[in-house]
Amino acid sequence: MGTIVLDAVTKVYPTAESGAAGIVAVDHVAMTIRDHEIVCLVGPSGCGKSTVLNMIAGFESPTEGRITVSDKEIRGAGPDRMVVFQSPALFGWMTVRQNITFGPRKRGVPKSQYENDATRFINAVGLDDFASHYPYQLSGGMRQRVQIARALMNRPEILLMDEPFGALDFQTRLLMQELLLKVWSEFKPTILFITHDVDEAIFLGDRVYVMSRRPGRLKEQFDVPFAKPRNMEILTDPQFVTLKDRILHSIREELAG
Amino acid sequence: MIDKPQTTRRRQRFAADRWRYPLISFASVVGMICLWALVTGFGLVSSRVLPSPGEVLVQAGYLIRNGYADNPLIVHIGWSLFRATSGFLLGVALAIPVGLLMSYNRTIGAIVQPIFGFFRPIPPIAFIPLMIVWFGIGETSKILLIFAASFNYTVLNSAAGMRSVPEQLIRAGTNLGLTRWQLFTSVMFPAALPAILTGVKMSAAVSWAVLVAAELIAAQAGLGFIITDAGTFFRIPDVFIGILIIGVIGLGIEFLISAFERRLLHWQGKV
Repeated sequence: MGTIVLDAVTKVYPTAESGAAGIVAVDHVAMTIRDHEIVCLVGPSGCGKSTVLNMIAGFESPTEGRITVSDKEIRGAGPDRMVVFQSPALFGWMTVRQNITFGPRKRGVPKSQYENDATRFINAVGLDDFASHYPYQLSGGMRQRVQIARALMNRPEILLMDEPFGALDFQTRLLMQELLLKVWSEFKPTILFITHDVDEAIFLGDRVYVMSRRPGRLKEQFDVPFAKPRNMEILTDPQFVTLKDRILHSIREELAG
Repeated sequence: MIDKPQTTRRRQRFAADRWRYPLISFASVVGMICLWALVTGFGLVSSRVLPSPGEVLVQAGYLIRNGYADNPLIVHIGWSLFRATSGFLLGVALAIPVGLLMSYNRTIGAIVQPIFGFFRPIPPIAFIPLMIVWFGIGETSKILLIFAASFNYTVLNSAAGMRSVPEQLIRAGTNLGLTRWQLFTSVMFPAALPAILTGVKMSAAVSWAVLVAAELIAAQAGLGFIITDAGTFFRIPDVFIGILIIGVIGLGIEFLISAFERRLLHWQGKV
């Protein structure tokens, strides 16, 4: 259902000077994200992680190669692949509930169909008491929870998360990671999760990809040996520490090289 | 119990803070009137140049009872409000869609941007002779002058507001499966509203300011007419009364629009 396949995907951005070859942001990336899988993508900043995500989302199209979702080539953005942005892209003039129901409302889904879902997802992200608040009245963590609930409302097979917890403080980030795993165990979406936090990548991912410096290539792939459901105790597990060490080394080579 | 007095004291300080600046502002106004009274009362300035507050007050009472130039004051105010509001509303009503279109369609934007950009810094008064030649001395030329001033401020602000809608918000909208039209009406327009309203506020201020100039065009009634007519006959107190009324109504308009803006844009915080 929600299998994502990238086949030799390349993205070149034109440069300002005419005649120049352009900047290769993503270079022949091939990866498969299987149904219900959580795949994390880490790498130095500016390595093209977000470009990969934006292409799968349909915001940008590859210069070369192709991307298929459930064997169909993607054409533009759509609610089957919901994006959770790093900065909460909420509609400031709408309440939490209006934000969350915005997609179904605009697609003409009858109220009776989405009303129960809305209540359910607002509860799932723990915002029961804030349904009629406006985004400016919420903390950063709460805003990200609204974004997650808004994404889930569309019953997406795929969640694309672009450093969604990057701007949060350490404790909120831990809570959000646990929340995400809980949400995943309930709805089992396929998740591509971009982060620069290796702990986060291992804690959430079934697999972790490391991307190289620009031009962004997939450098290495690591399998995470922990079964889900997971809890915070794995963070101090020796296996966790060993894996973290290997991934950090892989990234450090990129920074030094 | 020990810190109770402290909290009360703190609360009192809050209450004092709340009134502090409005009180200073009030004192400033009173001070200005006192200064005015002193300068005229001690004969530092001739009352033919600057009438005293008392004289102005007496003359105001006279005008309220007897009107000015065969018309009650309220008729003058009515005419001025009618001209300013119709010019302002027409300008804003046309400027918002045109501004949005300018940023939505880059070609249209490229065509009209330099034209509006050229006209904006020209004082509307400069067009008065042309207006008279083209549209005569009736209401059309007066309202058109105000319309043009009002239009020019809102149109560029609307266009700029539309262009500054964060890319991420637009992406969030397309991600949710919105059509282009839905994206325009339900995401881009509300997101651009703060900038649009800033333009509308400027338009309102300019419309009211251009009014006096517009009423220089052979008006038989209106606040601008009172000022120019009284000036011609050296009825300085009447000139002052005209200016005072314009100022007070201008403040009122500003206050109304700000209140409207606060209501509509209460959500405008950090997001």
